[in-house]
Amino acid sequence: MIESKFKYTPEIPEVFRCRVPLPQTIQAFVTNGVLRERIDPCEGVSISASKGEKGFDYVVNDDCQLSENVQIISFRDSADTEDLTFTNNLVFGSNTESNILLCTHTLTLDSFKTEEYVKIKVGSGARVNIVVMQNEHNNSEHTVNFDLNVESDAFIRINVVTLHGAILINDFNVKLAGKGSVCELNGVYLVDGKQTIKTNVQMNHLVPDCISRQLFKGILDDESRATFTGRIVVAKDAQKTEAYQANHNLLISPSAKAYAQPQLEIYADDVKCSHGATSGRLDDNALFYMRSRGIGKQEAKLLQQLAFVYDVLENINNEQLRIRLSDLVESRLRGEFGHCTNCSMNCC
Amino acid sequence: MLEIKGLHASINGKEILKGIDISVNAGEVHAIMGPNGSGKSTLSAVLAGRDTFEVTQGEITFRGSNLLELSPEDRARNGIFLGFQYPVEIPGVSNVNFMKTAINEQRKFRNLPPISAAEFLKLMREKMAVVEMDSSFSSRGVNVGFSGGEKKRNEIFQLAMLEPVLSILDETDSGLDIDALRVVAAGVNKLKRADNAFIVITHYQRLLDYIVPDVVHVLYDGRIIKRAGKELALEVEERGYDWLINA
Repeated sequence: MIESKFKYTPEIPEVFRCRVPLPQTIQAFVTNGVLRERIDPCEGVSISASKGEKGFDYVVNDDCQLSENVQIISFRDSADTEDLTFTNNLVFGSNTESNILLCTHTLTLDSFKTEEYVKIKVGSGARVNIVVMQNEHNNSEHTVNFDLNVESDAFIRINVVTLHGAILINDFNVKLAGKGSVCELNGVYLVDGKQTIKTNVQMNHLVPDCISRQLFKGILDDESRATFTGRIVVAKDAQKTEAYQANHNLLISPSAKAYAQPQLEIYADDVKCSHGATSGRLDDNALFYMRSRGIGKQEAKLLQQLAFVYDVLENINNEQLRIRLSDLVESRLRGEFGHCTNCSMNCC
Repeated sequence: MLEIKGLHASINGKEILKGIDISVNAGEVHAIMGPNGSGKSTLSAVLAGRDTFEVTQGEITFRGSNLLELSPEDRARNGIFLGFQYPVEIPGVSNVNFMKTAINEQRKFRNLPPISAAEFLKLMREKMAVVEMDSSFSSRGVNVGFSGGEKKRNEIFQLAMLEPVLSILDETDSGLDIDALRVVAAGVNKLKRADNAFIVITHYQRLLDYIVPDVVHVLYDGRIIKRAGKELALEVEERGYDWLINA
């Protein structure tokens, strides 16, 4: 396996060895909201603790093209079990290029409540890919409020992979503030037991010629709940807007419930917008077809679940990361997460 | 190889098969013909283990064991293959992944290790050639966006990959143009051996010009009303079913 470049300090438990990223990934660690260890990625890029002690600022100077992946691992452990609120600022200068993986975890079984604000500024002409991986314990309630401001001709794509957690809320408030900007929000969520996932999206098209795409898909088992509330608002002047939104849910158990509220609010008259929401169950015909080829019932069900979220994971542009995350999704669906002694991530 | 005795089956309480007896030996090709609604597809689904049908009477013995006790996957692992009349589209599962999973599940059943990547690729290439399938199909979702003919070729391709003992082809000829029909039939003929057998379900004699049956059964209203050699297919083609039904 690939060893991380990161040197572990006593504050950071030895058990934590993230093998998800690639060897050339630059890692930074945030424990209980405090930036602990970091490696300055390279010239023009900096990560530092916010003034308010908790939270961090990640800044990419104008014109800096960072080909390496940056991984920021944020976890909670028993050193601080208070309810936490903190803000992270991510500033991508104009004409920059960035690939970031944000992971959130809990290391211990304590009851955690975390309210996190992630303010993202995407400068004109910047290209930003962010993958968010959430894997937390059954006692963790975590709300992440993403606040995005996207300038002209910029592109940002956020892919969220939600593997585990008690109550996870992802709230997106996007302002497409510059002409020609593009925002893609994609998410896969896997919930079972009594877990809850909520996704709220407010996509604001403020100016003309912007594109937004949203694709959120979830697999719900047992008594889990998923809600999706998505609103696209197209301002009066935002002509030639293209805005798409889709939320699809696969219900494995009859007691699982998915709620979807897709909403469009359009004040301009020359736009292309669509939204759709579905919830369905496994396809009996496909299951029988697979079984008739000798594929066992469980395996056939698994294949169908993987197929269901396949098109969302496809959006992760880094192939190796996509494969690793797809593997994690598979082992999650198989219920095969390995368990390091007191580690909940089970990413290895 | 296969013994069907007094088979009755129903769906939602409605009896479709009303006492079927068929005996298939290794090396044989059997054709089952009959008008719409006679129970042909029900028979194939019952053989493959589709649970929407309930077997109310009779027995099916396959290579000495009770087939009706086995799950669909265990029937496949024991060598039964159903070529679907309407092959199912599975978006997101590539043909490669589908076949690899199927082969490895079957190998696991036989206590064999998973097939190596190189071996698998070689096998894919070899068997795709049997049905003149383009290699680009392998990375596409199972049957997704395939034409009717491509779907049927894919069925025969899967048959070639899995090397079943008994293949049941449910109206594999429906929706095929004459060229595709020839390819599919040639594929079947290449795969025919002394130690395997085929049951070909068809409406028309056309397919039987290419795949020559040893026995032709005419199924009507859930019963076999006539059984004879390959000449029966020609007679049906010429005279229709009425003379048999009214006999």
